[in-house]
Amino acid sequence: MKEQLTSLWQRLFGDSVRAFGVVSLIFLGSLAIAPAKNFFSEWRHYQRGYLKMVRNRSDANTLQRHFHGGIQQIWLPELGVVDRCTSCHVGLKESSLTDVPVQPYRTHPVIPHKLDQFGCTMCHRGQGAATTVSEAHSSTLAWEQPILPAKYIESSCGECHRAPLPGTPQLNQGRSLLSREGCVHCHTVKLSDGSVMKATDDPPSLSHIADKTTREWIFAWLKDPQAYATTSTMPNFKLSDDDARDISAFLIANSTPVPGDTATLSAKASPDPAAGTSLYGESFCASCHAVQNAAGNMVGGDVGPELTRVGSKVKPEWLQAWLRNPRAYDPGTAMPHYRFNDSQVATLSGFLSTKTDSDLLANVHLADATPEQVAHGKRLVADYGCASCHEIAGIKKPENFAPELSRIGSKPVTQLVFLPGMQHTLPDYIATKIKQPRSFGQGLKMPQYTFTPAQIDSLTTSLLSLNERSNTLPPSLEVAATPESDYQPAGKAGKLMTDLACFSCHRINGHGGDMAPDLTWEGSSVQRAWLVDFLKNPGTLRPALIRRMPRFNLTDGEVNELTDYIMTVYQSPAVDRDSMPLSGYSQGQVELGRQLFYGKYACQGCHIVDSKTDKGYIGPTLTQVGSRLTAAWIYQWMKNPQALRPGTTEPNRAMGDEDAQALTAFLISQKGGAKKEVAKK
Amino acid sequence: MAKTIDQHFDNLRGTRVWRSIFRSGTGSSPLKRALAIQQNVFLHLFSTKVRTRMLSFSATWYLGTLTLGTFLILVATGIPLMFYYHPSVPQAYADTKDLQFVVSSGLFLRNLHRWSAHAMVFLVFAHMFKVFYRGAYRAPREFNWVIGVILLLMTLLLSYTGYLLPWDQLAYWAITVGSNIASAVPVMGEKIHFLLLGGNAVNANALLRFYVLHCMILPLAAMFFVAIHFWRIRKDGGLYSHASEPATVRARTDTGAPLPKEGQ
Repeated sequence: MKEQLTSLWQRLFGDSVRAFGVVSLIFLGSLAIAPAKNFFSEWRHYQRGYLKMVRNRSDANTLQRHFHGGIQQIWLPELGVVDRCTSCHVGLKESSLTDVPVQPYRTHPVIPHKLDQFGCTMCHRGQGAATTVSEAHSSTLAWEQPILPAKYIESSCGECHRAPLPGTPQLNQGRSLLSREGCVHCHTVKLSDGSVMKATDDPPSLSHIADKTTREWIFAWLKDPQAYATTSTMPNFKLSDDDARDISAFLIANSTPVPGDTATLSAKASPDPAAGTSLYGESFCASCHAVQNAAGNMVGGDVGPELTRVGSKVKPEWLQAWLRNPRAYDPGTAMPHYRFNDSQVATLSGFLSTKTDSDLLANVHLADATPEQVAHGKRLVADYGCASCHEIAGIKKPENFAPELSRIGSKPVTQLVFLPGMQHTLPDYIATKIKQPRSFGQGLKMPQYTFTPAQIDSLTTSLLSLNERSNTLPPSLEVAATPESDYQPAGKAGKLMTDLACFSCHRINGHGGDMAPDLTWEGSSVQRAWLVDFLKNPGTLRPALIRRMPRFNLTDGEVNELTDYIMTVYQSPAVDRDSMPLSGYSQGQVELGRQLFYGKYACQGCHIVDSKTDKGYIGPTLTQVGSRLTAAWIYQWMKNPQALRPGTTEPNRAMGDEDAQALTAFLISQKGGAKKEVAKK
Repeated sequence: MAKTIDQHFDNLRGTRVWRSIFRSGTGSSPLKRALAIQQNVFLHLFSTKVRTRMLSFSATWYLGTLTLGTFLILVATGIPLMFYYHPSVPQAYADTKDLQFVVSSGLFLRNLHRWSAHAMVFLVFAHMFKVFYRGAYRAPREFNWVIGVILLLMTLLLSYTGYLLPWDQLAYWAITVGSNIASAVPVMGEKIHFLLLGGNAVNANALLRFYVLHCMILPLAAMFFVAIHFWRIRKDGGLYSHASEPATVRARTDTGAPLPKEGQ
């Protein structure tokens, strides 16, 4: 063996010339490594594969002509983008390659942006500079931002687009959940314009809670809010029996009474057992409040709290005082002040009091609270940050109670703590944190929510969109949201509108809800007489909708006050309502309008003019449109509906003056007369 | 064939241009060969005479020469790497990725630099162990041993400063940890830490500092000490071998007696 080695050594390095030759060969060989590695690089492999695949296709010539070999790069200096993804993903722009089963050769799905303008990593993350699959897609020792899983891709849209987009339902839902589920009560989320995200859930004040409910109910609620109402947004703090006992003791002891909440009503409820149900229906309580039916389905809206077991919660005297005027107990409530008479209040509160659940409080037995328990309860209330959401007399709202989330989408993975078995990525961390907040360690305060998997994905998406880039975006790229204005109507009518909580459903000048029509230009669009009638007895304009304007039992004075204000103040500069007459159009024009309505524009697809023949249920019914809308509004609406009400589903037909005039003449002639549509649900 | 090459070299040495540069003259007499070494600015660092036995592999394992070789490779690959590299945040990371993914043979260049650096550290240690276990650090070579230790320090500092330059997570945290070790020095630890990084944390200043140290100050200092190191070999009587020591020195080193003082 040794001899063999010696002879081999002699043969290779025996004399200086041999040694020089052998060393030179080794040197040449090592120099060849670099070009060989280049030749066998992954991107060349994928480009060869692409050409091979393309060769057998019918459009081979076009595809080959479009193909450019070598490393491809999208370079956007102002965004810091250097993306070489297109070196392997060769066919992204070839619209004919949609049928290719797998990447890297398939066409990119249609998106509103050009690939050359935004690159790839702006949306997909990953390492754009890399030309190998592992470096580009995965996180490495040097690069911790892997490709964003496809289900969270909408988060990238949110980096620039602050307003909801039609194409990003998940992001929109996530953002609204952040506000609606009250996440932003504890976690600060700063927006690019310097403001902070505001919560929209309006948790009730607990300063007068003893008027409203019992200590037993508070105990049961604290232990498991969803046992009382499955749609409750109150999370479960997983309190021990003792802690729940002490917090309930503190809240009751801390409560101060509101005058009137304890007054007993002299009026009797209506003897008709169905009266409560029909009053509940007539008042359209279900537009905002939901009740679980026997089949377990929620019936009703989600603006107000669920009422399935409300009888087990509220004290009857409080309920009556609330129905009489909710603003006395909670000045900021979204509930309108219905002008119920005492008998109606008694009937409705009697009806609601029957909605009980005997199991809810069956096992709750609380002894009288001791001062120590009250004191301990107060400490717990401060510890758990209850005052972040609820107003509690004597407890200050804590500042920055939970970590700020303004840049959570760029949090370095090195700073995260992972649970065993978890994937070590930021999206997984966020999703798990939302799903099981308490599993990350002892002493964590974040409560347990009851989100569905889809909601968790939405929330994760919206949180991932809050990152370094969204915070440092060049202003030219930002697509700002229209901020909610703080518009408040003035004067007596303004007070009335606040009292009736118009803004809970209607939007005016960029402020208010989206359940009912935007009233910003209402004064230009409707006729005074119709508005007076409508406020007194609201009928339905859209037969397909369940949610409707309730009847508030307004007095004539109140109706006139409101009507005057609306007709004077809410006028569009684009529509002069007196510029066109409400009658006197020639029969010929009306007939031409009718032909256009049923022929050229086929309006009956969505609207009803003749309730016997037309079947359009998408738009408002137009049988009486001539006594409702002004001619000038109809005319302008025909010409460009989006200019008057941005986002309306009415298509813009780019109508000429003549067509618009004829249709206006036809529609204004629809005075209705018969009231049968109103009665129809 | 070997003969022919030798003849060609002889012819070359006879040309006027050659003679104008190397003025020790032709011929292979011991004097001429000694002059050829002496009169050359680079070669005069070396002994004019070396024992044949010391040129064999077993005498030194060529560890010192191999270390020099890796150092030369590092200089040769380091200079082209500097062409592609900006010591700025965050461009530094993008530049290393460009080298890795788009510069022709850039990855080869980087890897060659990296592996040579690893090899150099290994070889320096091997060299020192060999010197130590053979006793070559003893008088009269103590000073050259000290120079060697300085060169070890240079090598480690070059490795350390080079580690930050890719500006990735590994680099960042390695330097964060390393510089925090420096701040553990009593009394002036925090000052050293601040001086090293040009701030309180690893950031753009630290990157620039490490770049200048890595590409200019440390290589120049290393070259300076390498020159002294080689020159001292000659001054200390050539490469060490026990048998080649003068009998008096040998006797003293064997018994551990001190060196004779000047004039003794």
